[in-house]
Amino acid sequence: MKLKTAFAGLMALLMLTGLARAEWKPSGPVTLEIGFDAGGETDTLGRVIAKEMADQTGWTMVVKNKPGGGGIAMFTTLAVAKPDGQTIGMGVNMPILVNLVLRGDKLPFKLDSFDYLATVARAQVALVAKKDAPFNDLKGLVDYSKSHEGTIVSFDAKPQELLMRFVNKQAGADIKLISTKSSAESIQEVLGGHVIAAFAAGAHIPYLESGDLKMIASANATRHSYAPDAQTVTEQGFDIFVDPYFFIAAPKGLPADAKDALAKALDKAINSDATRKAIVNALKTDPSDLGPDGTEKMLVDGVQNVKKLFDK
Amino acid sequence: MSELPTILAGVEHAFTLTNLLFVVFGVMAGQFVGAMPGTGPVMAMAIAIPFTFALDPLPAIAFLVGVNKGGLFGGSIPAILINTPGTPDAAATAFDGHPLARKGKPEKATKMALFSSVTGDTFSDIVLITVSAPLAALALKMGPVEIFALMVFAFSIIAGLVGDSMVKGLIAAALGLLAAMVGLDPEHGTPRLYFGHFELFDGLPLAAVAIGMLAVSEILRRLAAIGSDILPTIVIPKSQSKDDRRVSWAEYWSCRYVMLRGAIIGTILGAIPGVGSTAAAFISYASAKQAAKDPDSFGKGNIQGVAATESANSAVVGANLIPLLTLGIPGSVTAALLISAFKIHGIQPGPLLFEQEGRLIYGLFAAMLMANLMNLLLGQVSLRLWSFAVKAPETLVFTSALVLCIAGVYVSTGGAFGVVIMLIFALTGYFMSLFGYSVVVFIIAFFLGNKFELSLSQTLVILDGHPTNLLSHPLALVLLTCAVLSAWWLGFYAPRKARKKA
Repeated sequence: MKLKTAFAGLMALLMLTGLARAEWKPSGPVTLEIGFDAGGETDTLGRVIAKEMADQTGWTMVVKNKPGGGGIAMFTTLAVAKPDGQTIGMGVNMPILVNLVLRGDKLPFKLDSFDYLATVARAQVALVAKKDAPFNDLKGLVDYSKSHEGTIVSFDAKPQELLMRFVNKQAGADIKLISTKSSAESIQEVLGGHVIAAFAAGAHIPYLESGDLKMIASANATRHSYAPDAQTVTEQGFDIFVDPYFFIAAPKGLPADAKDALAKALDKAINSDATRKAIVNALKTDPSDLGPDGTEKMLVDGVQNVKKLFDK
Repeated sequence: MSELPTILAGVEHAFTLTNLLFVVFGVMAGQFVGAMPGTGPVMAMAIAIPFTFALDPLPAIAFLVGVNKGGLFGGSIPAILINTPGTPDAAATAFDGHPLARKGKPEKATKMALFSSVTGDTFSDIVLITVSAPLAALALKMGPVEIFALMVFAFSIIAGLVGDSMVKGLIAAALGLLAAMVGLDPEHGTPRLYFGHFELFDGLPLAAVAIGMLAVSEILRRLAAIGSDILPTIVIPKSQSKDDRRVSWAEYWSCRYVMLRGAIIGTILGAIPGVGSTAAAFISYASAKQAAKDPDSFGKGNIQGVAATESANSAVVGANLIPLLTLGIPGSVTAALLISAFKIHGIQPGPLLFEQEGRLIYGLFAAMLMANLMNLLLGQVSLRLWSFAVKAPETLVFTSALVLCIAGVYVSTGGAFGVVIMLIFALTGYFMSLFGYSVVVFIIAFFLGNKFELSLSQTLVILDGHPTNLLSHPLALVLLTCAVLSAWWLGFYAPRKARKKA
């Protein structure tokens, strides 16, 4: 009898620990490190997600900005942080992928230095031109450039420049590129007539509505929800795209239950009403969480795509 | 462009007690963080933005605008009282403001700063409210080539401030440009001079360099000079006449041309994104000095120097909203923060803004004018408080300022790395001024270097490497000609004339 009770007690204890294992809880505050300055898009989204997570799970969330190199500085320290689920980081894939491809040997981390938890959203990159531009698609732009001994397109991020160079190489278009600090500045150059077309990530949408600009192509892998008729660059015959994702990762070696709990909590927070509103406001797109496996695949595939952009 | 009912609805929308309180609170917070060495409106706004997500759009943006406006005036307080400007714009205020304070007239100097700041700010707000649409259309015509020419012109005017030795000035400018090279190059994103520190990918942190060079190096200099006697930081004569404590109407009126010029320069440079308040402050100061009958009195406590700088750098704030609201382009760090505040509230700056959010925008305009008035009223109180604070022993004032600088840079750059940078540049600044190299020239070159490089590279692509293509950019040609003329005037003609006189 006594043995039976003890056995039952032991079983109960095991089950309890089993339950406890399934419901992983951080033993202290969870720090979400942001790879960008305070006040920017990544910062704003990260803070909304952290707040939602804290409200939904009851965990204490701390948000910390670690700017530098488009997230490189933050991921450098994240890679060597303790993998206990209490330090996670949010960044953007493009600067990481570009640096991994260009100077991977100098970076103190690799893709497999992290456990991937979630993606937050995908930025929508478009190629736009003034409404009275004498072309409506990429081929038209290429022909225009050829017949005018070259033309100028502005961009605000390296991958956009590379995409256009890819087009140049394939079509012999001789399009020249100028760098700007933001989508808004790129659009200013188009509106002012200083360049013929520009890349923009969201800032162009009100100009499409007002009719000042027209969309030449989606630079992403798929078309954009607000402009279903504008074909992607790939559809227009150039096998290349850019897909900037906001994503969240943790140092490699996270316990399986912690990874699972964090991924679930993040997914719930990312798809909450408050976060959805913030994402729609800031990026003009919907939240899209690919989950841990999807996020990892996105980055692994991303390296191949960026290699292609760099012609490597 | 918008109908009267929208405007009235917007104004009505703005004049609620809640909005007024948020404006007052914003201005108060701004003046406080501006006046504390080492912190400023940029840091306060960056920290406040995520919290404004819970507010309605108008109070949220009114609060941030209040912080911005209050902070800009607040920044002139430490510059004038203890010569520790936290930003390059305030450095120009310190040129004449601090000598005035040392003469025992800190209240007069800070009051002039307040009055001219509010004057310049109100001027540019009115320009923004009345003619922003045509101005924005004009600003669109300024392409990379024109911006490049404008920057060359700005540099040529600022060169007049270099001081006695042209060679030392050029060396300081070259060092500033070298410091601006650190980080990803603005054209192709290749990292330069980062020595394995990924924190440097984005360049040397602006706040750390500015506070280190301008404020901490001055604090070090003053701490080193402290002898065995305990002295108050600023000695105010006991039997000071009332006139030395206030700005009379006659004095204010005598600065009208200087302030008007400052306000116009600030408004133009604010409406054209990219050049910014640093250039506006220095161009206004330099031209006030050139136009004055007694240019030698500048730098020794001429109240016109304070008026010129403060009216110009405050005018940039209102005018910065012209490209911000019409095109979504930030003309400064604070404007960039305002854009992200707009965005998280679902307001997209651009062509449809006045149509879709007319009520909000006119409400914002009303809130801005409200903030100017509050700045004026609250400023009167806070400047008395700070002028009182600097009667404390200098050992106390400068050591606390040092602690505040370290804490401020730690917070705004996200860690100890920024503090190390700050200390390195504090020592650099200390030795530069010891050997007569202008720290201010270094800072101007450092702040404008990146933008200058970017527009140079854009210009080269657009001109396709042929200087003759410049002929199709007449405005740029005019600006470049002006630059050559002003360089000749300031660099050769004026000094020679001055030597002949002497």
